[in-house]
Amino acid sequence: MSAVRITNGKVLDPANGEAGVVRDVVIDDGRVVAASAFQGAAETIDARGGVVMAGAIDIHSHIAGGKSNITRLLMIEEQRANREPAGDFCGCGGGVSTMTAHATGCRYAEMGYTAVFEPAMVAANARHMHAEMKDIPFLDTGGYVVLGNDDFLLDLISSGAGQQAVNDYVAWQLAATKAMAVKIVNPGGINAFKFNQRKMDLDEANPHYEITPRAILTTLMRAVKELGLAHPIHLHGCNLGVPGNEDTTLATIAATEGLPLHMTHVQFHSYGTEGDRKFSSGAAKIAEAINTNPNISIDVGQVMFGQTVTASADFMSQHRNRGIASPKRWIGMDMELDAACGIVPFVYKDKSFVNALQWAIGLELFLLVEDPWRIFLTTDHPNGAPFTTYPHLIRLLMDKDFRDEQFAKLPKAVRKHSMVGELKREYTLEEIAIVTRAAPAKILGLTDRGHLGAGAVGDVVVYRDEANREEMFSRADYVLKNGQVIVKDGEVVSLAYGRTHQVAPDYDKGIEARLDRWFDETLGFKAKTYKIADDEIRDGQGAVIHATERSA
Amino acid sequence: MGETVHTDVVCPFCGLGCDDITLKVDGTKVTAAEGVCGRAAALFRRSGAPAPSPRVGGRDVSFDEAVAEAAKRLSGARSIAYAGLATDVDGVRAVLKLAGKTGGSVDHYASEGMFRNLASSQRKGWVATTFAEVRNRADLFVVVGPDPLKSYHRLYDRVTPAKGRFLKGPRRVVFLGGEPTKESLSQLEGSIVDVIKVAEGGLVDALSQLATLVADGTPPKAAPELVELAAALKAASYGVLAWSAASLDDEGDLVIERAVSVIDTLNVTTRAAGLPLSGKDNLTGAYHASLWNHGFPLRLGFRDGVSDHDQKAYATENAVKTADLVVWTSAFRPERPPASGAAVIAIAHPDTTFEREPDVFIPVGQPGLDHQGLAFRADSVVGLPLRRHRDAGLKSVAEIVTLISEARA
Repeated sequence: MSAVRITNGKVLDPANGEAGVVRDVVIDDGRVVAASAFQGAAETIDARGGVVMAGAIDIHSHIAGGKSNITRLLMIEEQRANREPAGDFCGCGGGVSTMTAHATGCRYAEMGYTAVFEPAMVAANARHMHAEMKDIPFLDTGGYVVLGNDDFLLDLISSGAGQQAVNDYVAWQLAATKAMAVKIVNPGGINAFKFNQRKMDLDEANPHYEITPRAILTTLMRAVKELGLAHPIHLHGCNLGVPGNEDTTLATIAATEGLPLHMTHVQFHSYGTEGDRKFSSGAAKIAEAINTNPNISIDVGQVMFGQTVTASADFMSQHRNRGIASPKRWIGMDMELDAACGIVPFVYKDKSFVNALQWAIGLELFLLVEDPWRIFLTTDHPNGAPFTTYPHLIRLLMDKDFRDEQFAKLPKAVRKHSMVGELKREYTLEEIAIVTRAAPAKILGLTDRGHLGAGAVGDVVVYRDEANREEMFSRADYVLKNGQVIVKDGEVVSLAYGRTHQVAPDYDKGIEARLDRWFDETLGFKAKTYKIADDEIRDGQGAVIHATERSA
Repeated sequence: MGETVHTDVVCPFCGLGCDDITLKVDGTKVTAAEGVCGRAAALFRRSGAPAPSPRVGGRDVSFDEAVAEAAKRLSGARSIAYAGLATDVDGVRAVLKLAGKTGGSVDHYASEGMFRNLASSQRKGWVATTFAEVRNRADLFVVVGPDPLKSYHRLYDRVTPAKGRFLKGPRRVVFLGGEPTKESLSQLEGSIVDVIKVAEGGLVDALSQLATLVADGTPPKAAPELVELAAALKAASYGVLAWSAASLDDEGDLVIERAVSVIDTLNVTTRAAGLPLSGKDNLTGAYHASLWNHGFPLRLGFRDGVSDHDQKAYATENAVKTADLVVWTSAFRPERPPASGAAVIAIAHPDTTFEREPDVFIPVGQPGLDHQGLAFRADSVVGLPLRRHRDAGLKSVAEIVTLISEARA
């Protein structure tokens, strides 16, 4: 592969302490090399007037798997209305809130994203998810395996099998499903719903196993810590969407006792019960707790107005929400003593008090959490909004006047209940580079991504430095994938595929006999069928296995 | 050469996903050992005779000649129906890509029942479940309509065995409007089995009554058995209604709609779910790959590189009426292409016997015997890894279709 030299651009590389330094970035043989040391011939890209950043990384976006297919099924009108033809480099497909695999890769690449992680890989559905992620072009991917509602684990914990057995089981699941991290969705709650429990607080016992979400969370946090995974537990907490859940969220932060925890789509978990409508913003309290607890990181799950579809493993919550489906259809599914899913199409309306306040709560979190290394830019695609709204969100964060204009359009009652208008903070370009590049790489343990130092992968983006940040981040001037130009002037110009990221910590193989028995007797098929083989990931080409402290 | 024994082989045929098959392989000869159902044993069996040659117009030709002729036919066709689609996910991917280039319709040969299910799931939604949940939680399992055992030979052994982890007593299985076969009763030993007879053509009405009853309504002239069943469903911890859409009659859409409504109402106070069975020959995998690649659940039409979806126009039975070329892919069993006046390219099981000799015939390998691949279980969630167990020199659908596509250019 020929080398590429990007010249005259302002380099924004916060991981290496560079904020707008004009220097060359050289990519040789797919990797960034020291520009000064590079002697060979190189194709030149003139980035004068542009900003050069590493490829962006989305740590939380639902891009694949059974639930994504259900969203496509339910959003058929949207699929019909948004068709695109096959081009020289693109397969055809389409969609907006729910896209086909190819469209997902194209839309992300055009915005300068080159790695996206699927945060809810239900273990029983992992093989499907990997097959689908293989068909998404341009992006490096990986999945977080959903644990914490699986009957095997709950049985292990409640029977007092001990932390070591849990650690071995978690490592076995990571290897079996080829996962990058561990996600918990409504710890114990999805399981409890299968036993007909409708609500689950942090210290409420599961009706069958008699263990609490707190016990599940702390046991799995410890497992991930002791297995040496870079990414802490990725938690979708209890009581999603329930007014008053700010207390649960604060109690969850306290429950960590200093252990690292990533709390996802926190906007949906920051609700108070003040005011006439018993629905208020808890963002200030939550942000304060995050600011004072350096072990906590969050992504926001920003809401944007318009049609989308909500897809979650949290069937307990989604069953509660079924009445607000728009269009009026929804699908729920229990899965394999493992997890569940609930899919509810939804329209966020700016005239709705609740929806507009959700929008404001998300922005409050963005503006009140001080450390950009511990907050991530997400809409929980497609649950809060499609990921294609990121450029608009970036403008809201960077441009106070624009933000105030949008805020002024909201109902008066909402404005009275939100402090968005009082918040003066504007994100700098460097902070955007942190929340979309440097920090995601750091929290996932991706040492060669999210930065532009020598040795980094050649995923590099050039944006035109425009005052309108929404336009700037909608269409990159150039996107390079492993040194290959895949986007020019906001259009896809060539095809490339990414790799699949995994971790594989070592474990005591003694757990396998117990799992073999569990599969044979309880699940009704064999553990060896369940385990995904190396050659099933991108046909054996393109898995990246990251070292952990206890690597196999 | 000597016989080798392959254990724990995954069966790809009906969609139950049994993975306890033992195959004895001697050269290219294959027999299925004990433990396997009769249908799978027959479908896995290979005599060891060499695979037939590719043919063009009934004449034996080389593989390359057959590929070249297929490519030529595709280029000359005005309207192409891609049918069969009985292949692993890679095969489906290859057919979808080719169809995107040539234009034409794409459907799976066994999709009829699936679309009966979609009439409910896509328009209104539903609550569904999977085999392991049913095994362990379903204290009341209601089979709606004809006994699906004829299509799913080990259904009750696999999905409703006598013991389940969360069952507090014996499982109760109710056949509503269908008669259990002797084999079903034998597989259900240890469970309580009841049969509720429904007059011919009365299944929709029975389900409507059940829907009213579980919603605490009082339908006129409700059969006492249905009143009892409604009460039992409401009292059950996890009631499951199962049906095989393919074996329901023309009113299947309505039967399913009513069943979905029963489940919906039950979930307000207790837990319940549906187990829609449909998925032979990787229908489920074809459905999934079609959705994630094109946004539509099969019955795709391609024109000028844009995909569209129409459940009637792009159904095989309608598409072949106007097609001048049918591309038939069938890798799991010797299934015949649909009768039509169109020319036929058959990328088909080596044992296929044709009513009319296809214009091009290329024998294909079976996923899970001749090559590895991915298929899906009939409950939609679990993917099945299919492995290679012999070398008979047969290529996969994906390989053959890709070669044809390249030869077109």
